[in-house]
Amino acid sequence: MEGAAAALDYDAELMLRVQQGDGASFGVLLGKHRSSVVHFLYRMVQNHAVAEELAQEVFLRVYRSRSTYEPTAKFTTWLFRIATHLALNSLRDGKNERLQEHLDDDTGDLPVRQVSDRRPSVEQTMVYEVKLAEIRQAVAALPEKQRAAVLMHKYEEMEYTQIAGVLSCSESAVKSLLFRAYETLRKRLAHMA
Amino acid sequence: MKCPMETRESAGFLLAYGAGKLDAETTALLERHMGVCQACREFAGHQRAVSAALDAWEAPPVSADFDRRLYQRIEKEVSWWDLLTRPFRPMLVRQGLPVAAAACIMVMAGALLQRPATVEPAAPAESAQLESVQPEQVEHALDAMQMLSDFSHQVRAAANESEM
Repeated sequence: MEGAAAALDYDAELMLRVQQGDGASFGVLLGKHRSSVVHFLYRMVQNHAVAEELAQEVFLRVYRSRSTYEPTAKFTTWLFRIATHLALNSLRDGKNERLQEHLDDDTGDLPVRQVSDRRPSVEQTMVYEVKLAEIRQAVAALPEKQRAAVLMHKYEEMEYTQIAGVLSCSESAVKSLLFRAYETLRKRLAHMA
Repeated sequence: MKCPMETRESAGFLLAYGAGKLDAETTALLERHMGVCQACREFAGHQRAVSAALDAWEAPPVSADFDRRLYQRIEKEVSWWDLLTRPFRPMLVRQGLPVAAAACIMVMAGALLQRPATVEPAAPAESAQLESVQPEQVEHALDAMQMLSDFSHQVRAAANESEM
């Protein structure tokens, strides 16, 4: 099914053009997927600098693999498989030891929140930051695969099949991962309603 | 509609509903079911809360120099490869085929040399007795060596004569 999807995948076509030496197509792919890859990695490792470094590595690997690339799956499945692999390795390599510190002091990474036209009050900002810290802690506490599955499902809006392709597991395993992950998150975040 | 809470497979409907990703037809069916099922109603409510909470988590924008840094790395990588292959380039261009052939032969030779040496199994005592060297065999071997030596002298002498 993934193979059939890959046949119509415009990204895969672009990648095949990169394979033939078309550098501009690589630029198009980068422009299309830069943000989603960086944001996914940011939510995985919860450090902006590390996330960008990993994202650079993802695109570098894509570029390096151009000569051997075969569109056997959807391009984004392949792309996120590389990203997930690097994120999990980074977390296992101990870079996640710094994670807890960053959960507390990484607030410099936060985007400027635009609440209508007026600036949020100090109180609103503080409430938002506390809430955000709680969300980040809850996501960080999830087991790695559950975390990856939730982030792909929630923020990348990927289908179960595609998440299964990224995590190299069955669709029912993905459903189970998501069910458990959301169950944990519901326990920790439901009071925010 | 069967209660989606009964299996994890169908609980996916509730997850999708909470994320606002369910199609209109299934949404209508699920909402009708939730009208009579308190467990599903609570589940969907909590799931919506989680989804809303996660929505609040915005990722910071990508650095403006992200692409520049990436292309620099790509450039550096290409430059390294270029630097490494530069001395061999004229040879590769002019003698690509012979070089490729020589490389193939070297790889094959390497593969052959890598093969583990065959170790003769230790001969049992009986065959050692049978294959032991007899005095007559030594004499024959010495005679043969003498004969070869004489033959060699004669050949060398004939060669010297022809040169003169």
